[in-house]
Amino acid sequence: MLQLAGEFTQLDGLAPSVQRQHFRISTNPALPKPLASEAAFLCRGAAVPSGFGLYLAHEGDQEVLEGAPTGSPKGVLPISAVYLCDGDILRVSSTAKSYRVVFRRGTRHQSILLTERCNHYCLMCSQPPRDEQDDWLIEETERLIPLLPLDTLELGFTGGEPTIYGERLVNLLRLTDRLLPYTSVHLLSNGRRFADRKFAEAYAAVQHHDLMVGIPVYSDDPGRHNYVVQAEGAFDETIAGILNLKLLRQRVEIRVVVHAQTIDRLPTLAEFIARNLLFVDHVALMGLEITGFTRGNLKKLWIDPYDYKQIMEEAVEILAAYRVPVKVYNHQLCVVTPQVREFCVQSISDWKNEYLPECTGCDLRAQCGGFFSSQVKYRHSDHITAQRLIPVPLAVETAP
Amino acid sequence: MPKTRALTVDLAVYSLDCVKRSAYRFTDRFALDLKVEGNAAICTLSFDATASDQVKDIVVASFQKELLDQDLRATIRAETKDVRNLILAHAFSRTGLIGDEPLPVD
Amino acid sequence: MSRFQSIEFYQRPTTTYQLLPFRFTPLNERGEYVVTNLAGEHLVLPGDRLRALVRHELPHTSSEYLGLRARHFLCDDSSKSTPDLLALKIRSRYRRLAEFTGLHIFVVTLRCEHSCPYCQVSRQTGDTEAFDMSRTTADKALEFVFRSPSPAIKIEFQGGESLLNFSLIRYIVERAEAINHQAKRNLQFVIATNLAVVTEEMLAFCRDHRINLSTSLDGPEDLHNKNRPRPGKNSYQRALDGIERARRIVGRDSVSALMTTTAGSLDRVREIIDTYVGLGFTGMFLRPLSPYGFAVKTNAIAAYGADRWVKFYKEGLDYILSLNNAGIPFREFYTSVILKKMLTSDDPGFVDLMSPAGIAIKGIVYNYDGAVYASDESRMLAEMGDQTFRLGSLANDSYEDVFLSDALLNPLEESFAGSVPMCDECAFEPYCGAEPVFHHTVQGDFVGRKAESSFCRRSMAVFRHLIELLRSDPDAKRIFLRWANR
Repeated sequence: MLQLAGEFTQLDGLAPSVQRQHFRISTNPALPKPLASEAAFLCRGAAVPSGFGLYLAHEGDQEVLEGAPTGSPKGVLPISAVYLCDGDILRVSSTAKSYRVVFRRGTRHQSILLTERCNHYCLMCSQPPRDEQDDWLIEETERLIPLLPLDTLELGFTGGEPTIYGERLVNLLRLTDRLLPYTSVHLLSNGRRFADRKFAEAYAAVQHHDLMVGIPVYSDDPGRHNYVVQAEGAFDETIAGILNLKLLRQRVEIRVVVHAQTIDRLPTLAEFIARNLLFVDHVALMGLEITGFTRGNLKKLWIDPYDYKQIMEEAVEILAAYRVPVKVYNHQLCVVTPQVREFCVQSISDWKNEYLPECTGCDLRAQCGGFFSSQVKYRHSDHITAQRLIPVPLAVETAP
Repeated sequence: MPKTRALTVDLAVYSLDCVKRSAYRFTDRFALDLKVEGNAAICTLSFDATASDQVKDIVVASFQKELLDQDLRATIRAETKDVRNLILAHAFSRTGLIGDEPLPVD
Repeated sequence: MSRFQSIEFYQRPTTTYQLLPFRFTPLNERGEYVVTNLAGEHLVLPGDRLRALVRHELPHTSSEYLGLRARHFLCDDSSKSTPDLLALKIRSRYRRLAEFTGLHIFVVTLRCEHSCPYCQVSRQTGDTEAFDMSRTTADKALEFVFRSPSPAIKIEFQGGESLLNFSLIRYIVERAEAINHQAKRNLQFVIATNLAVVTEEMLAFCRDHRINLSTSLDGPEDLHNKNRPRPGKNSYQRALDGIERARRIVGRDSVSALMTTTAGSLDRVREIIDTYVGLGFTGMFLRPLSPYGFAVKTNAIAAYGADRWVKFYKEGLDYILSLNNAGIPFREFYTSVILKKMLTSDDPGFVDLMSPAGIAIKGIVYNYDGAVYASDESRMLAEMGDQTFRLGSLANDSYEDVFLSDALLNPLEESFAGSVPMCDECAFEPYCGAEPVFHHTVQGDFVGRKAESSFCRRSMAVFRHLIELLRSDPDAKRIFLRWANR
């Protein structure tokens, strides 16, 4: 797993009044001056050009910084940041002497955290809520959007509950629509704010060119859903929100995290979606990540995916029969039935995924997303086995 | 000559409507003659001449079971009449969620 | 200390639940009932659970309660979205009604070279004047066709043997396409034909205008030929030749086949299915026995009745399911129509299973002589002397005269299943149809006493059978889900 955040072993020259600043990493010495002044040059031994806003080197390599113009801001990164390359974007805190990679060029899906505040308290939350004023996160994002490259494929907005920002979120979406006209946006939300018709209308009025909101519905049983999200009245408001969004022709995805509390009624949930919410654009069935609250609640939540693979198959088949687009995420290919494999997506971000020794020699490895590091470390299926595809003989051997 | 069976239904327990609805389901088995005396419905079931006593017993028992079911239906109808009208009215007003229908104007 | 509440905390009952409108009907001899809600969704409940439900005694944590609440048979404080969701589903079920008449049948001639014993309508004659539709009539009929608001229009050519008047078919197709340049509907054509007289020229025309062919195939050769005598006694072989040539020239999926179920069919369902499978068809229709021509000509309908046909159907369906389980994707269309009504909020638009009845609303018939009939069966009835469902004539009546005639409105209104005795309280009503023509023919009124109706008897047997399969046979359920969503 890649370390996306860390501390500079050395950082000097940045104005301390600027608490956080974004820099695009560049390894191009011929970068035009107007762009260079906003960029951080990653020195790798060759001649160091002038005109950049920040000069960086890795630990053990820092003598190359001596070639940088005198008085210019310089920083030394730890070895764990060796993966950084041209086009990545760093958020630098000069007071804390720390950095965070907020954008990785070349990664399909970029996830941006907008807030840690939330009105739910899901048993398996991977981003446990914090009730602190963290508007700076959306503020930073507003400043980041103009820096993102036009060829960014997909942007994800997550939380906490992003709709907490109300109109500010709507404006952010409008910003991404205008400044990133080729980028699709995926918003994660519990959907409850959209029960407010006016808010749903404001959201729809953005007329985003490619926007989808992913909303969790964990059961066809309101009591069960409310229990998983730990909020009374959640189910009703979420459904109302979904209906409002669809009335306004907005794209909606339903997300289900599959674990011991949601598995029993997964097929009836599939039928509920097929009969009542047939107009949804996508259904995502997701495996458990062992982070955040999941670890503390593991006893309530853990069930070996191999043990529920028949139920999973039943639910997927129902949705597929009704032609509801459905995909399965974060399940290794050896813990689902063969019929489900075509619905599996290699979804674990490249900075998160790993494999086990048992995976050696597996014929399906290239299509399989592997594991979250948290699964490797804490809990994964007991039935991980390398799969062998039956080879088709190229020639038939005949007896001599 | 068609054989008959008689049955008395207590109208304090089952409504006359219940009795008629139940009997209607058996028009292929018997013809019903109905007389109301006080708070009782006197039912005379006329069977086809070919019907054996055993068959007549079974049919009468079915008729009695049907009375119970009709009573249940009457309860459901009474309890759900208002919400039924509400839902149907909502269903046939413009909702704008099906196909290419225009959005409702508030 | 955990900040997490238990599941019991979120399942606390607040007040007692409320019933939502639903119907129930016995499913089997074991005291189980089928319950259906306003949207046609069903559940199976034991009798004692049903009574507990109505008496408000069902425990709020029982799996029956959870299922009934999720399926909208009851609601409580945690399911306030229910009325909206129900309203949406109901609206979906009925939305096709507004499209109105989509199927327009043109009887281009009564002439036919076959002499099938059950057929009421054909004339074995060369007299084209007396029994062919004229161009004037065809033009008037096309005016009616495009008065329909339906975005999808299907023009079906029937007879007699429709290809005997191919020149008129060509005329109508070209005229309709010309009108459609302005009208811009989704226009489709079908020719119903026994394929015995089809030529390469006709098939080329079908290919060029994307016309589908619907032919008759009653089963194995001996059965088919017995039902369909013609000079040369080779109806089956001619049909096979025609199918093969049509597929080659017009396209593989351009030909479909329909069987007519007769007394001779009832013991041979597997052979009939094998005939279809062997000829490369991807599905078939296990058709009910018709009470019309068959009854009058051979007087045998009473002897067979509903039960015998149901046995035929169950055996056929069972065989088709086993074919599917063996990897042969073969579909039964009658079952598919019913499954669509059971498992989705979509309307399959099948004329014979609609309430309000499909007569004129869904499909209408323009006869060779310009008379307008509410359905194909209505036309057959007229040939037998009963003009009840003749709605008017193209020569004398306007579109409004025809569609607002009492001949149409009376049976529609009187037969509406939601309002007639027994049907109004039947759990299967969402899956069934009104069938005023059938009941008029057999019992003498548009409604019929359903307890004595073979249509009712057979339909209920089929519904019960499918519901039992859905709950007990996971392989069947998987297949049915796909059929329902085709």
